[in-house]
Amino acid sequence: MKQIWRLLDTGELPAADNMALERVILTARSCNLIPNTLHFLQFSPHCALVGYHQAVELEIEEDYCREHGIDINRRISGGGSIYMDEGQLGWEIFALKNTPGIPKRLDDMYRLMCESVVNGLSRLGIDARYRPLNDIEVGGRKISGTGGTEMGNALLYHGTLLTDFNVDTMIACLKLPLKKLEDKQIRSFKERVTCLKEVLGYVPPLPDIKKAMARGFAEVLNVELMPGALTGEEETLMTGELPKFRSAEWIRLPRVLQESNLTVADYKAPGGLIRVSLLIDHLRQRIKSAFITGDFFAYPERSILDLEAALKNSSSRPDDVRETVRRFFAGNDVQIPGVAPDDFYQALSLAIAAQSSNENNGGNNANR
Amino acid sequence: MQGEKNKEWNIPRGLLFDSSDCWLKITEETVVGLTDYGQSNIGDIIYLDFVPAGTVVRRGDRCGSIESGKWVGSLLAPISGIIVETNSEAKADPHKVNTDPFGDGWLYRMEPADRKEITHLMNLDAYKAWIQERISGKAKDAEIL
Repeated sequence: MKQIWRLLDTGELPAADNMALERVILTARSCNLIPNTLHFLQFSPHCALVGYHQAVELEIEEDYCREHGIDINRRISGGGSIYMDEGQLGWEIFALKNTPGIPKRLDDMYRLMCESVVNGLSRLGIDARYRPLNDIEVGGRKISGTGGTEMGNALLYHGTLLTDFNVDTMIACLKLPLKKLEDKQIRSFKERVTCLKEVLGYVPPLPDIKKAMARGFAEVLNVELMPGALTGEEETLMTGELPKFRSAEWIRLPRVLQESNLTVADYKAPGGLIRVSLLIDHLRQRIKSAFITGDFFAYPERSILDLEAALKNSSSRPDDVRETVRRFFAGNDVQIPGVAPDDFYQALSLAIAAQSSNENNGGNNANR
Repeated sequence: MQGEKNKEWNIPRGLLFDSSDCWLKITEETVVGLTDYGQSNIGDIIYLDFVPAGTVVRRGDRCGSIESGKWVGSLLAPISGIIVETNSEAKADPHKVNTDPFGDGWLYRMEPADRKEITHLMNLDAYKAWIQERISGKAKDAEIL
């Protein structure tokens, strides 16, 4: 007999309410007050969210957000900053860690959850696939990012599904490695994400999307979903948690010293120019994100996007960068005429060594 | 993880362990860290944070957070006591926990409140068995972190 899970849909809520609700449901699951739950959520007004350990001032264009009525808040889960508008659907799994069928190892658990989304998307006619570590993509372009956290004996794993998406607003409200790039390169960045509207040519009705996603989770996790509402205990917990998630103290939380510096470097390889744009934390020796363009030809085309994914949050120490690049090319069948793996290492090294070059990004930004 | 079953985990002698893959070196004070297996399961650690020194914790209380691969996990106190020092170098550079979990990558020092709690911890052989149990999938209540 299949386990019965709750299917919860709370509709559109402000960011603080949704963030508080995550804590509430996770607490309730941990205390065994509720069954395992699949939760759909949406955001209104639109918002920019940082990951649990991130610093708002390093990740979000706060002035832009203020001017455009974009809420700012902090997730309880990990990962990078994201922009959520009304055209995105959030999905979340709350479950006990020892739920049969949920792998104990993190990597395996990520894969299972992402495969559930892949299954759901296939019901909408979309050929998506899981991209390690935590993404779901269509034709090499990201359509859903995921992340998670835990409390006691319970876990939260969640993600966003881009249904219709205003990429210009995302670029404007998040500090991405794009400043000072030319229009052509910004267009190239936009091509790294996609949404249901772009893939299908239309946005299916939201109930249909939710139905497809719910079926995907039910099949992959081998559970039965029963629609349900928040319980009285959850409502009570929510009343207690909401003030915290609306407070500046929560939103400005991190005590971890960190930096975010934008650096750009060009490297001329025999097969063409490689332009590397990095957000880098020199203090913690991390490449926060990488954006690689140029006039070389990569086969398959998606390989550069995969290399960027491999570099995200990786160590910026020279030996580690060389190893990340080496491992990527060793593990992927990539053909780039006139460009060797070492050329990418050289380009990355130049960008890592370059001075922070973008006054719009605050130059050398630290949350000291 | 590929090849995990055949991997030899570094598990030094003279330490005690808890089920969340913390190691403890117990003298007058106690040093706590994450084991080689623990850091490997978590993966490349991106952020590390601790409660402030001076915080009193009970066994199982959250005394920090650890992030890898977009996952935020809890550091749980393996015994009750007072956190007397946290490793600021590891907090600034969490990579140390991956590369030197029993050395520079230690997490925090604490003053135990109740020495009897040490009986809840595992010795080397029991911890090795606990790792194997999880790798083989026999552990029913294994924690994700």
